[in-house]
Amino acid sequence: MLSQARGGRAVQYLIVLVVAITLNFFLPRLMPGNPLALLAGVDVGLLKPEERAQIIEGAGLDRPLGEQYLRYWGDLLQGDLGYSYRQKRPIVDLLMERLPWTLLLSGAALLLSAVVGIITGAISAWRRAKAIDLSLLWTMIVINSLPSFWLGMLLIAVVAVQLGLLPSFGAVTPASGYSGWAHVVDVLRHAILPVITLSVISVPDIYLTMRYTMLGVLGEDFIRTARAKGLSERRILFAHVIPNALAPVVTVLTLRLGYAFGGAAVIETVFSYPGLGRLIFEAVSGRDYPVMQAAFLLFTVAVLLANLLADFLYPLLDPRTKAA
Amino acid sequence: MLRKATPRILAVSLVLALTLLLVATAAAQGAPVERLRIGILGDESTLTPYTYVTGYPGWNLLLLQYDTLYQLDLDGVPQPWLATGATVSEDGLTVTIDLRTDVTWHDGEPFTAADVKFTYDYFRAHPEAGRFARDLRPLSAIEVTGDAQVTLTLTAPSPSLALGTLADVPILPEHIWAAVETPAEHDFGGVNIGTGPYKLAEYQAGQFYRFVANEAYFAGAPLVKELVVVQFADDAGSLAAFRAGEVDMLVRSVAPEQIELLKAQEGVTIAQGPLFTTQMLNYDIGRTPFNRLEVRKAISLAVNRQDLVDTIYLGAATVGSAGWIHPASPYFNPEVVTVYDPEAARSLLDEAGIVDSDGDGIRELDGEPLTFELLVNGGDSLRLRIAELVHEMLLQVGMDAQVAAVEQGTWEEAVWPGFDVTQGRNYDMAVWGWSASVQADPIRISQLVHSDPALGSLNLTGFVNERADELSAQLNSETDPAVREQLLDELQLIIADQLPFVLLLYPDGAYAYRASVYDGWAFMNGQGIFHKLSLLPETARP
Repeated sequence: MLSQARGGRAVQYLIVLVVAITLNFFLPRLMPGNPLALLAGVDVGLLKPEERAQIIEGAGLDRPLGEQYLRYWGDLLQGDLGYSYRQKRPIVDLLMERLPWTLLLSGAALLLSAVVGIITGAISAWRRAKAIDLSLLWTMIVINSLPSFWLGMLLIAVVAVQLGLLPSFGAVTPASGYSGWAHVVDVLRHAILPVITLSVISVPDIYLTMRYTMLGVLGEDFIRTARAKGLSERRILFAHVIPNALAPVVTVLTLRLGYAFGGAAVIETVFSYPGLGRLIFEAVSGRDYPVMQAAFLLFTVAVLLANLLADFLYPLLDPRTKAA
Repeated sequence: MLRKATPRILAVSLVLALTLLLVATAAAQGAPVERLRIGILGDESTLTPYTYVTGYPGWNLLLLQYDTLYQLDLDGVPQPWLATGATVSEDGLTVTIDLRTDVTWHDGEPFTAADVKFTYDYFRAHPEAGRFARDLRPLSAIEVTGDAQVTLTLTAPSPSLALGTLADVPILPEHIWAAVETPAEHDFGGVNIGTGPYKLAEYQAGQFYRFVANEAYFAGAPLVKELVVVQFADDAGSLAAFRAGEVDMLVRSVAPEQIELLKAQEGVTIAQGPLFTTQMLNYDIGRTPFNRLEVRKAISLAVNRQDLVDTIYLGAATVGSAGWIHPASPYFNPEVVTVYDPEAARSLLDEAGIVDSDGDGIRELDGEPLTFELLVNGGDSLRLRIAELVHEMLLQVGMDAQVAAVEQGTWEEAVWPGFDVTQGRNYDMAVWGWSASVQADPIRISQLVHSDPALGSLNLTGFVNERADELSAQLNSETDPAVREQLLDELQLIIADQLPFVLLLYPDGAYAYRASVYDGWAFMNGQGIFHKLSLLPETARP
């Protein structure tokens, strides 16, 4: 029974993947605008008809949509993501250059926001309706309504421009020639502001999930039993409440891990950070179809894998869900 | 102690002051600057003629590494550069170009006539670098006719040859490129060998380029030893980095509302001057009411161009000339007058019988109200504001131009479907603009007005005028500069009178830099300050 359920799950994921890849192929082609401008450069209006045809043909855009679609699958299965219209470089290279930066940013932010979110959520629930709970709750609701770009720009204006404490853009100091520790320090200094921005805007979700589930756990019979047994408050909190409240929080975090591959387009753009999110932003505004497709594919796979991981982890954290 | 110390302090101060003075004079005399950091928007890829992305600043960055046979001087006029001069035959079909003999490639190989022939043949055989293959269209053949001489054979006399071809096509080294079969995808290992003043030393995608000076540059060693070009994702980011002192110059023109703010900041200089980019109103002349000359004239009379310049650009723009050519251009015809007179617009429409008969404030033509869509790409806030003001101005004379803000791609497809005027047009009226290159070469005026799409490839309004056709066809083959000027003068008058479009204004270029880091920037008429000459000593500039 169990293996059959797993097999069904795998087929489900496979179907979602195929649908996603198909959408991924068609969506950019349904967007308004003509990729010719990008393929041909600035003076597109000066092209002769035969030159236009040559360019369109070169990119395979003159083929019937069905054929383009099949060809897309063929290339994909061979691991060939194609060339960027805009930059005329292999897309695999573009993605690989950007991925580490995005993972650094998103990974650090995920970790930071998880720690802060879980701790504050636990404090809030434990001190429910006390001053500290209410002030935390209000703070989180305010933060949750902040636009991320605004927060980023505010940090740049104050910390980088006014105070000059940290760099305002990029992942490293351009052409610094740093190596070894100096390079590591440089990378960290550049990551501080974007990571803080990204963490601050991610904390409320985790906080609210943690607070809510913990409140649920606190009302359970086994907690009353523990109290009746005369266990210390500390023992109750760390041995009984928190472990039982973590399962949904871990699910939220796992799904965020999937989204982390997408980078944070807005934050990466505000900080001119060379991550995947900014690559997508540029590809969309430049109608660079192949790059859009490749990047969205990467996200799709990452999100699906994260879901799979969550499916796998949840029963371990909460044995009651194993049967389902 | 104190008394004793005072003279010493004085002496030290004196020495310091002298040193500063020396440093200052050295800077003024153009002593080399060790490092200059400039900001651009977006990635320009590996910066070969087949991979650079944008016309500005991509082409300018490309030409830091490569040279052209001719080079624009600060007035925007082509002057011999890798060439020493050119002679054109009587019939205008043969052009003999003499070349410099003292130029070497970055790898030490000598530059020869064979390289020039190779380059021109290569771009024509590999037309993927669209711009350069297009530049070479007037050419039917090129031959090496001497140690340092090439001869071009043209299919027809070409008045734009120096500007559009010789000053635009970067010359490539044959010994490197001869083996390159797929230039767009070829991996040069990050090393671009040219003859230019800079060598690309490092490229980090999405982050920066580092160029180092070519000390052996034939025109003279560049004034900046290391040039770091930082890629930003957006305007706000580059501006913040400039304010924080993390870059020393911004390649993109500063937005009007930022100009005064930046000027107020210590150490910041703004170089401001005319640019040949345009903001204009396009309309489909095939449609009612734009097929009526009175309506087009009324629109031109009703728009207060000075108000647009003052309100939207805060003065950082030049009022549009109805005849297309910028008043700062050497080809401007001063007889062209551009008038703002809403009263005259109203009486013109009244006389034509286009009146408001139902009293709703909007005039009717053949029973239909003068209500139409004014299309604008909403992502461009300046254009959007132009559209809103134009809406109000036209309302004053009884026309209702309803602003429709759409995404860039939708706007482009409506005004210029498939970037091909033979495909027609799907709009009433639109705020439009051309890049500087369309006006920098005055001959291209013919592309805006000629009714045959083969010649009038930029005639987005469907304008048809017999005399304009004649003049622009003649302009394309006339090699006598004096005759050309007459043709241009008459064409400007026709455009101002017949209004194939309504030119509103020319935004000024405003470039921010820190003079304390580098002060050699020179404004090229219509093109701004970011070009090769800005980094060369004054003696090396043509």
